[in-house]
Amino acid sequence: MALLRLTTALLLVCAARLGAQTGKASEAQVKAVFLFNFAQFVDWPPEAVPDSQAPLVIGILGGDPFGDFLDATVRGERRGARPFVVQRYQRVEDITRCDILFISRSVADQPEDILTRLKNRPILTVSDADRFAERGGMIRFVTDRSRIRLQINPVAAEAAHLTISSKLLRVAEVITPTGR
Amino acid sequence: MAGMRTVAAATSLVFTLGLVCFVRPGFAQRPDSAGQRPDSSLSAEALKKLSIEQLMNLQVTSVSKRPERLSQTASAIQVITQEDIRRSGAASLAEALRLAANLQVAQIDSRQWAISARGFNGTTANKLLVLIDGRTVYTPLFSGVFWDVQEVPLQDIDRIEVISGPGATLWGANAVNGVINVITKDAKDTQGFLLSGGGGTEQHGFGAVRYGAPLGSSVRARIYGRGFDRDATTLPSGRDAADDWHLEQGGFRMDWDASSASRVTLQGDLYDGRIAQDSGGDIGVSGGNVMAKWSRTLSERSSLAAHLYYDRTHRDIPGVFGEDLDTYDVDLQHSARLGARHDVVWGLGYRNINDRTVIGSDSTLAFLPLQLGYRNINDRTVIGSDSTLAFLPLHVAREWFTAFVQDEIALVPNRVHVTVGTKIEHNDYTGFEIQPSGRVSWRPGSSGTLWMAVSRALRTPSRIDRELFAPAKPPYFLAGGPDFQSEEELAYELGYRYQHGTLGLSVATFYSRYHGLRSVEQVNPPAPVPIVIANGQDGESYGAEVTAEYWLTNRWRVHAGYTELRVHIWRNPGSTDASGGATESQIPDRQFFLLSSVDLPAHLGLSAWFRAIDDINNQLVPAYAELNATLTWQPTSHLDLSLVGQNLLHDRHREFGSPPASPTAPDPRRDIQRGVYGTVAWHF
Repeated sequence: MALLRLTTALLLVCAARLGAQTGKASEAQVKAVFLFNFAQFVDWPPEAVPDSQAPLVIGILGGDPFGDFLDATVRGERRGARPFVVQRYQRVEDITRCDILFISRSVADQPEDILTRLKNRPILTVSDADRFAERGGMIRFVTDRSRIRLQINPVAAEAAHLTISSKLLRVAEVITPTGR
Repeated sequence: MAGMRTVAAATSLVFTLGLVCFVRPGFAQRPDSAGQRPDSSLSAEALKKLSIEQLMNLQVTSVSKRPERLSQTASAIQVITQEDIRRSGAASLAEALRLAANLQVAQIDSRQWAISARGFNGTTANKLLVLIDGRTVYTPLFSGVFWDVQEVPLQDIDRIEVISGPGATLWGANAVNGVINVITKDAKDTQGFLLSGGGGTEQHGFGAVRYGAPLGSSVRARIYGRGFDRDATTLPSGRDAADDWHLEQGGFRMDWDASSASRVTLQGDLYDGRIAQDSGGDIGVSGGNVMAKWSRTLSERSSLAAHLYYDRTHRDIPGVFGEDLDTYDVDLQHSARLGARHDVVWGLGYRNINDRTVIGSDSTLAFLPLQLGYRNINDRTVIGSDSTLAFLPLHVAREWFTAFVQDEIALVPNRVHVTVGTKIEHNDYTGFEIQPSGRVSWRPGSSGTLWMAVSRALRTPSRIDRELFAPAKPPYFLAGGPDFQSEEELAYELGYRYQHGTLGLSVATFYSRYHGLRSVEQVNPPAPVPIVIANGQDGESYGAEVTAEYWLTNRWRVHAGYTELRVHIWRNPGSTDASGGATESQIPDRQFFLLSSVDLPAHLGLSAWFRAIDDINNQLVPAYAELNATLTWQPTSHLDLSLVGQNLLHDRHREFGSPPASPTAPDPRRDIQRGVYGTVAWHF
């Protein structure tokens, strides 16, 4: 039990049988909660974590679709000893230290440009842009018949030395840019 | 020996009784009704309590779709998810249906299942509508389901929606006491290779190959092939019942996003199987289906959907009965938001069946007492040793036309909704039939929904009700049911759903009154024969279905269900039926299950699934309790391993079946044995 509680943050277990029975939410709200949850399923390389108390930064590049919901979601939350912080960026050049980056549709028409400039930085890139995972992004939100699914490109994550938990991969559609 | 064979055949044939009706394939989660309802959003705190899987299953509001979330549905609906199925270790669709607390599920033998909702269960249970991706799978012979050929690959199922209670308005005439809606995964969710296989004691061996790939930028497809071999059950004596069987199956599905507003799906399956019998030759089953679906969002307030399918089934029970059935079905549905308060759905449907039956060579009627409950004439010397049965005419073509309309009115938007609607159907037996319903849902807060409903539903005649004759030539001892009309139900339901944080609760209570239930009548009483089938019985049922789900921790979920159920059937004045209703409903008064699933470290998962089922007193089947346990291990995202123990508490137990009709007759009952099997699945 103690062990189970310790891993509270790992929200995995069983089926979301309740799925359709749970509360109602807007797409943006649910995506914000996904962004927060991703922190529990990704391991960053040691060099990406300056110290054990360093804030875990969730960045938004471009227009912010979340309003203040993302801020409300992470308020008071920690990953280990690391508090969450939300940062907003207008340009790639503005991105200083960032752990999870949501790339808004407003700037994601050409995600390759952004991703090229981020290349090899240990930042988990997330977007709902079309074919984001095929084009080198790490996680794409796909809204499919009112539900949000995930597409994950593990190759892109590995290239940035990020480790994505198999538990997350298991519930996602794995995308390999080269084929299939 | 002839007797043995007869009863074995009879047990099979039990399945062959029936009726058809018709139905509108549909969807509890109504497709894309237009318009968008204002939302009472969940707080960040509430959303953060949800698991990733829960988040993925959460319906979100997006443009041009109005999510119909189950917690707001004014009916007793439950959903079995893919994860539930995986965790339960269920090996067949029928077994997975035990996960719905609002169904009565009993395994009869190695391949046959008695499945019903709200009572009236039997080997030829006839008041439940079963759809696979919108395709009706019951037989027009008796309105029941040959479960042995509904072997949808479990890993391809997205979810199963189970509605207990009348669903006739939206769904059609066989939805008297419930609807089971099996929904398979979109092709885009099954891309890449899947190889799986395994085996064990009762599940002798099974294997499947699935491959999914894009065909162009907007088309995804998959194909699959599979086969399995299942062990026999045992006779009450402990001897092997020799009813082992195997089935091979293959199919495809293709989903095409033709534009941002329209979608096309093509899918189909083929199967072939052989089922051994302890006397008589093997039963052969084969068939296939092909289906096209199209849907288009016309505007943010309106959408259109249509489907077309062809289904063929073949069944050959040597010496008893053979059947070839072709079904053609077309269906159109339009939903539109009118004004600020009305959500209207209407549709039209047409179905055509072509049913060709064959008389077996030497079958006898020993099964009749089992089926029709006429216990006074179970002595075969009365019947005559050369008798056979026949569906007369042997070959029929039948048509059904349906139209339905339903309006959901937001009296107080998002709080009080009233839904009224009706189905109008025309069938070749009873002409026009009308099945209206009215529902009210009230949401006092964001967590709970109180709902009530009043419905009229009909079970229209099937071939067994009108056209079953025995022997095959005059003088008939059973002379069909020339005057059999639809059985009528008036149902009153009251329910409550609650969902808050990690707790989900649902209670549904009901009272139903039935008129004109099937009976067997003497034509010239007191002469025991001839007999005909008629509507000489009335009945009532009442009960409550309770389910609860709770996340004890983020890795440990429990899901429990409890149902209390009573069915009373009585003879109307003038009826000579002697069954006391025993042949129309064979159910336990109560049932309970608990599924506990825990995620352990090292990618292990452990589930225990306990069920306790009360006795079926009109069959003398004793109460029983059983346990399934499943250990899963996913060392990588590409590999799934599982070890499943089925029915672990007893060497063997019985779930369904009456004692032999006479001391000399062979025992038709079968016992289900404990089983263990392992599975390996590799995705790449």
